[in-house]
Amino acid sequence: MNETFKTRAMAWLRARLPIDAAVDFAQHKQVPAYHGSVWYYFGGISLFLFIVQVISGILLIMYYQPGVATGYESVRFIVVHVKFGWLVRSVHTWSANLMIFSVFVHMFSVYFTKAYRKPRELTWFTGLVLLGLCMGFGFSGYLLPWNTLAYFATKVGTAISATTPFIGPTILQILRGGSEVGAETLTRFFGLHVAVMPAIFTVMLGTHLMLVQIQGMHEPHEWEGAPESQKKYMPFFPNFILRDLLLWLIVLNVLAILAVMFPWEIGHKADPGAAAPMGIKPEWYFLFMYQALKYFPGKILGLDGDAVGVMLFGAAGLLWALVPIWDSRLPRGSRNRIVTYIGIFVVIAIIVLTGIGLT
Amino acid sequence: MSAFRIHPLLSRLLVACSAGAALAVLATPASAKPAAVDQCYNCHHEGGTPQAIAFAKDIHYLNGVTCADCHGGDPTKDDQDAAMSPAAGYRGKKIRKSDIPVICGKCHGAGSNDFKRENHLTDVADSLSAGVHGEALRNNDNGPQCVSCHGVHNIVAVSDPASPVSPGHVVKTCATCHADAKYMHDFNPRLPVDQYAMYLTSVHGQLNAQGDPKPATCVSCHSNHLIYHVKDPRSPVYATRIPETCARCHSNARYMAQYHIPTDQFAQYRRSRHGIALLERSDLNAPACNSCHGNHGAAPPGAMSVVAVCGNCHQANAELFQKSVHKEPFAKRNLGGCVVCHGNHGIQEPTDALVGFDERSACGKCHKRDASDTAARDITHMRALLDSLQQGQQAADREIDHAEQLGMDVADAKYDLRDVHQALVQARVAIHSFKVSDLADAIHPGIAVLAAAEKAGNEAVHDYYFRRQGLAVSTLIVTLVTVLLYLKIREIEKEKKK
Repeated sequence: MNETFKTRAMAWLRARLPIDAAVDFAQHKQVPAYHGSVWYYFGGISLFLFIVQVISGILLIMYYQPGVATGYESVRFIVVHVKFGWLVRSVHTWSANLMIFSVFVHMFSVYFTKAYRKPRELTWFTGLVLLGLCMGFGFSGYLLPWNTLAYFATKVGTAISATTPFIGPTILQILRGGSEVGAETLTRFFGLHVAVMPAIFTVMLGTHLMLVQIQGMHEPHEWEGAPESQKKYMPFFPNFILRDLLLWLIVLNVLAILAVMFPWEIGHKADPGAAAPMGIKPEWYFLFMYQALKYFPGKILGLDGDAVGVMLFGAAGLLWALVPIWDSRLPRGSRNRIVTYIGIFVVIAIIVLTGIGLT
Repeated sequence: MSAFRIHPLLSRLLVACSAGAALAVLATPASAKPAAVDQCYNCHHEGGTPQAIAFAKDIHYLNGVTCADCHGGDPTKDDQDAAMSPAAGYRGKKIRKSDIPVICGKCHGAGSNDFKRENHLTDVADSLSAGVHGEALRNNDNGPQCVSCHGVHNIVAVSDPASPVSPGHVVKTCATCHADAKYMHDFNPRLPVDQYAMYLTSVHGQLNAQGDPKPATCVSCHSNHLIYHVKDPRSPVYATRIPETCARCHSNARYMAQYHIPTDQFAQYRRSRHGIALLERSDLNAPACNSCHGNHGAAPPGAMSVVAVCGNCHQANAELFQKSVHKEPFAKRNLGGCVVCHGNHGIQEPTDALVGFDERSACGKCHKRDASDTAARDITHMRALLDSLQQGQQAADREIDHAEQLGMDVADAKYDLRDVHQALVQARVAIHSFKVSDLADAIHPGIAVLAAAEKAGNEAVHDYYFRRQGLAVSTLIVTLVTVLLYLKIREIEKEKKK
């Protein structure tokens, strides 16, 4: 009976979708198995955490009410009165942080394994856009509970954008919706967080995943020119998928422990008239930039120090994004160490500056 | 050397030539007498001018001050035109009122010499100018100045009972302006003008009227020349300074000996709840001496008026007391209402211990612990009701605190607990009706809030452990699935190797 139903269902689908092609693709897709295979899983972990974000975000939006008079109160209501609301909110916040961490690790693994090289440049570019969107999600979502820390951190964060030469004031105006962080800022951050960015993210993620499937996993450079017998692979389905699932379960456990044992505090409602509390800092993933800006003098060659810093960060980010282009033009080819050294320097700089910022 | 010895009078005249007549004359306290040469006085006195006749007994004339020292002119000239010529500095018969403090200040103002030091006349004119009277004079030429209080040509020493500023006259002197509504309207329309009338009714005023110079007069509290506005913290009658000002006399056992009243009021007051609030916390709403005794009409509140006096601030308590069973028996025994239980000057923060039969209780002063006595049973019952709210609040606080320590959000319950405090305040007011039913009505809403808060605290603590148990179970299940999945992967990979 069941067999008959399954056969019939597959036949119904075959008549409408290229099922056989998809099954055939999954059965034949191979994933390189070597000492660096572990880095492949961070893409999957990021995807899993994104799914958690979507589900927990949808649950939160059922009760969250954007607005200066309602934002904080509705988050309090979720945490105190809604069944498992505290868990959903805590999971959403922890998952956001873990996702950004995971995406960073994923990006650096791609960078150091030089997996961005031809033909995967587009995968690299879409991945960077996804990283930027993740940070945008973090920045916009941080303000939504409308608590003191979020308010002043957003004030500082948006003020930094104002130092961008020429267009800084316009960016500030667009971000805040006025001269100060207020009701307009909150509603537009909410709109960005739940509508604009998810839409762009979905398209970019779809493109990114499609490119990964089309191009397959990047193989290590050591395999170039090596005989096929020396290359090891594992089937994408079910081996790689099951390993991915195994990691997802571990991450789920870690997430549950963090959410229950270290629930994210709501803090006090934002009071724009109050003095900023001591030690206001942006979220940890912005901290390296914030900390670095502190080391710029007030004036550099007659220009505002912060503005120069923002320009340098912009230029460095652009160079980082364009690594597939300039790396291919370097003479040493696949064993190019300059790229690796730059990457090591960036990782160390980020860790050190974040560490200083946190302490 | 002795041949050139200058006669003291000549010496004084020489100084007068160089430093001015007034200062020269006033610089001779030891042998003070009328000036040798004062043609103004001589002529006007001979002519029977009332001012000159009066001036003959004036303390200034007797100490060598001449007419010209105030009016200007040259007192050495017997020619009227020469003596009263503007060239000689003659100011005229009538001196502008606003100029008077300046003229008096020549001798009674800043600067010093032996005479001033000896007679404490260094800065009275300046003090007058710095105070409210000086300000009034600057704003209105009709304002008060030296002669308003001391008189003009017939000025006598303050210590002279005839002086308008002597203890026997000063109140009336102040009242010439301060009881004149029309006159005062030009300076401060909001200032009451009944001080004098009230003073006459006060114990101070009655004793003063009997010729007793010791009771307080206006200047005893407000000062004399340097008078500040009552709302000026420098004023001795500014709210926080009143107790100290009253205490200057009332805490002086020797000074008060003849009146046979206690002198420890200030000592008690400064340690009292009212005193601490006013003197240490500068809470201007806290009562000072005058809040209960009155100021200008100061008198000890009689036994029957104590409740009304306390009721000025503690209105609800007073209203309940007036309808209570205690009103009549207290009145019969001439007991002063509130003070019977709470005390007066040394009043302390009332606690629930006042109710009951403990050592500190107030009830026990009159009632005996007797189970057959209805009042005694009610007292015990009321104390139990108060204790139930107090203890219930402590228990709920502990529960909420426990939940908070565990990191749970109990802000709503904590907020609601404020209603318990409100109920306790209302209960402590309601007890002044001395009816168990009134107290119970006030306490029951608090008990209901307590029950809800305690429940919320309990639930939060329970929720805390439930979350951890849930985490343990879910982690266990996920871990189990993970292990099974791991075994499955190994199995698949082993099969593939085979």
